[in-house]
Amino acid sequence: MLLDRRQIFAAIAAGAASRLARAADDSVAIAGKRPMILHNDRPEDLETPVRYFDSYLTPVDAFFVRQHIPRPAPIEADAYRLTVNGMVSKTLSLSLADLKRLPQASVPAVLECTGNGRGFYSPKVPGIQWGRGAIGNAEWSGPRISDILKMAGVSSGAAFLETDGADTGVAKTPDFIRSLPLKKALHPATLLALNMNGQPLPTLHGFPARLIVPGWDGTSSVKWVIRLTAAAEPNNGFFMNPGYRYPKYALPPGTPARPAELEVIEGMPVKSTITSPEDQSKAALGPMTIRGFAWAGEQSIERVDVSTDGGSRWREAKLSGAKLPFAWRLWQIDWQPSDPGYYTILSRATDSSGRVQPIVAEWNPSGYLWNAIDRVGVTLEKSA
Amino acid sequence: MKKAIVSAAAATLLGAAGWSADQATLERGKKEEQQACMPCHSLRLIESQRLSRATWNKELDKMSGWGTVIHDRDALLEYLVANYGDDKPIPAPAISKDGSGKK
Repeated sequence: MLLDRRQIFAAIAAGAASRLARAADDSVAIAGKRPMILHNDRPEDLETPVRYFDSYLTPVDAFFVRQHIPRPAPIEADAYRLTVNGMVSKTLSLSLADLKRLPQASVPAVLECTGNGRGFYSPKVPGIQWGRGAIGNAEWSGPRISDILKMAGVSSGAAFLETDGADTGVAKTPDFIRSLPLKKALHPATLLALNMNGQPLPTLHGFPARLIVPGWDGTSSVKWVIRLTAAAEPNNGFFMNPGYRYPKYALPPGTPARPAELEVIEGMPVKSTITSPEDQSKAALGPMTIRGFAWAGEQSIERVDVSTDGGSRWREAKLSGAKLPFAWRLWQIDWQPSDPGYYTILSRATDSSGRVQPIVAEWNPSGYLWNAIDRVGVTLEKSA
Repeated sequence: MKKAIVSAAAATLLGAAGWSADQATLERGKKEEQQACMPCHSLRLIESQRLSRATWNKELDKMSGWGTVIHDRDALLEYLVANYGDDKPIPAPAISKDGSGKK
């Protein structure tokens, strides 16, 4: 156990150190985005550097991007139609104007890639090696899915909502289709978002309409939505099975999944992230403020504790923002170190249901749901 | 018999040293990476990862299943293991240029 912990921490430190050594290869600019950590430029998979996480709402130009398959051709607002079909009394074809005429709801909610933090797992697992930044908190607005389904008249036998985006796979790559239990789809906070932080969704984030499933993993929030289908059974395509499933019982690290024991991910764990100081950075010795964010899926954040001595002593950080489900809370704590040297800073969140961030994140074959206590190292130097 | 013993010994030595592919195979693997993988995604997606031989092998199976045409599979696998194996250092992240249009 101790060895495992040490190995994991060593892996984090190694990954973090290399992250600081900025790569020289920066040949690509992504329209509408500040400099981002570039995991894939075709299609764009972009991670937010932690230094941009200094506001409650993550600016659109700094928000992470995850795409599985190539982006669809830009959708013309006037030509857009949303099909609502399946187990409904009336099949609908809705224009963007129709969607705007429905009551508009608004929700601040975190979007976090299911694989955020995958790069910290050891042994390594395939997939984008995200660090801390495949996450953001935005204000989403648009009609409620429940209002759209009410118009169509969902049959009482329907139990799932299948959502298809306009993107399609290359060659035999599966289409990106996701299913949601109808109960979650009908939750008043589940939206077909048209706006992000008060602006129409940019193409990269799903223009003109995307699902927002607050508190669940980012992959639930399908972009470029063109079809909603009420169904009795969940879709069984790749992105529902085996994609985005998590072992029901924990596996020894490095061992393969047992397909029959994989479950669809619903909800997200409790998690805090340190955004300042940056891992493996240097700073002048003197008073400083340690900052970060914390969120807990469908729960809300109750407290965040911070240690500056590797976990011997903990102090409670000051939280800002309302105690809400779905959204994150920013936290900060003042620190007055007296000696120069290397410090290990940890953060640990607790949520409203009593969940506490673990020391060790549970290894899983797809590298999902990393939520170990966050850890950064900082070297404080006496000023000359 | 003698030959068999010699090659067995050579195999043991190679095994101990960590078997490595010859340069020509790696060159072929690099070409295959461009030919097979680039039609669907940029090479960054591959080259930012550090995976074991077994895991790269499984990735190739997955991609073949999704319609990727791989002509020189063995060379591609050797190339991936030699350059992006899990014993290789984790690369520094690439950072995109500013595309925000703000100055």
